[in-house]
Amino acid sequence: MRVKTQQPKDGIRSIGKMYAWGLATVCLLPIVFVSSVATTPVWQHGPWAGGFTLDWIIQSWMVISPYAFFSIKLSLLVVMVDFIIGIPTSWVLARHRFPGRDVLLSLANVPIAVPGIAMGLALIITYPLLRKSGFLLVAGHFLYTLPFFIGSLTPQLGNPSVHDAEEVAATLGANFPKRVIHVIYPKVRTSLLAAVIMVVTLSLGEFNISFFLFNPQNKPLPVELYSAYITGRLEMAAAITLWFLCFVVPAAILLERLGGSKVGQA
Amino acid sequence: MYQKSTNRIRVAVLSLILPIIFCVLLFWPLLTLGLQSLAGTGGEITFAQYREILTSHQYFKSFVNTFLLSLFSTLIALAVGIPAAVYVEGKSGKDRKILAVLLTIPLSLPGIVIGFFIIITFGRTGIVPKSIELITGNRALAFAYTFYGMLLGYVYFQIPRVVLTLRGAVSNISQDVLDSAKMLGASTFQSYVYVIIPTLKSSIISAASLSMATGFGAFGTAATLSRGYRVIPLEIAAAFTENFQPKLAGAMSIILVLITIFMLFGITRMAELWEYRRSGKEGARVL
Repeated sequence: MRVKTQQPKDGIRSIGKMYAWGLATVCLLPIVFVSSVATTPVWQHGPWAGGFTLDWIIQSWMVISPYAFFSIKLSLLVVMVDFIIGIPTSWVLARHRFPGRDVLLSLANVPIAVPGIAMGLALIITYPLLRKSGFLLVAGHFLYTLPFFIGSLTPQLGNPSVHDAEEVAATLGANFPKRVIHVIYPKVRTSLLAAVIMVVTLSLGEFNISFFLFNPQNKPLPVELYSAYITGRLEMAAAITLWFLCFVVPAAILLERLGGSKVGQA
Repeated sequence: MYQKSTNRIRVAVLSLILPIIFCVLLFWPLLTLGLQSLAGTGGEITFAQYREILTSHQYFKSFVNTFLLSLFSTLIALAVGIPAAVYVEGKSGKDRKILAVLLTIPLSLPGIVIGFFIIITFGRTGIVPKSIELITGNRALAFAYTFYGMLLGYVYFQIPRVVLTLRGAVSNISQDVLDSAKMLGASTFQSYVYVIIPTLKSSIISAASLSMATGFGAFGTAATLSRGYRVIPLEIAAAFTENFQPKLAGAMSIILVLITIFMLFGITRMAELWEYRRSGKEGARVL
């Protein structure tokens, strides 16, 4: 006989739990593998066969540090351009109803639908002379990140509570700059931070667009990672990957905590 | 209160910034790419590049390969991602928050790093073949550079995408309906088929179309893992950098862009239309 008041064993929940933990394990185990290869003197002999070493990690930093700094510089530049183009667009999308608003909204999402490799090729074929300046890299990363920037920022800017608070401030005599600093900015700070972290992470990991656009003087970190994977020793490649993960994984965790995870290209 | 006309000018100026920039950086370059791929040696319009792609055995095979990888990786990611998303976004379980974080970390990993994960796990000296060798004396399961290695890499980057897309819709699953189904004797499998999947249908379609488009455009994972198993993004890179045939690369890119745009917008639109015709009322809006 079934007892109605007691919760029977929930198959959906237990299977879901098993799948979720299974997936999380499968997704994160490779990070453990990378760490173990990166700290083994000679991987051919087996994991930690000759003891634990930090040599690969130190050596790999010497190799990648110029590229890492270039990538960070590039991502900050991209954040700046996203601010200049993205904030006015987010503002107009969030605060105004005008003919063509839906078109603008769809337009802002177009770069998501264009594969990075096609975007890179189109830029390099159209503006070949700009390759040397590194301008094309900024342009490509900007196109790639802007939809996510606008997508993170617009909902909060359009939030009625922000709008109402601003209206109250306006009736009390606060002018526009004052309202931005004291009312709007504190209210959208979290989404703005999420947007910035998102843009930096996407830009740091971007490879598909950069593949056609980089030049030997301006080489982003993922391009260097790729050549380590194709030509380098497994231990060295693992150590470089570990450095890369150190940049990206904390950012990803922070982003999920801020509620801003979005989907990029692979 | 603002004056109406200055307000209108402000809106016009602000809303034109992005379209102008996109015309310079995105639409004009894509148009140039398309026009160049159509230009013949004497400046006339020719479809020779497209004819070559569509009739060439090599490129046809690459298209089939790309399609199969995208399709299988999407199906596998959906099969494992749906139960996981249902749990993560469900009502009980203390571990849901940490699972949500763990399952979104892979989202920020670039394709090349995912490719390397496969190499380090299933490569010639990867962890798994190495461990098997230590135990049995024979190296086995070193399939990183085959179709299955690439498939695994593709599944890896699809999973967080599928889970994230589905999570938003899980709250629509009615616990009452699930309870009633169980009271009537439905098995877990039947609850999935008759309650959960129908409720999630529109977001499953969004997840599948996103996942298919991502699979078609994926370059990094394929570039690190491919040894002979060609996909379209690799053919584009090879045509441009190795064989220096920018027109051919351009033509393939245009085809690829059309495919991914169709995957992202066309599939959901078609599903909506189908739903609309079937039910005779406004279909659920997706995307």
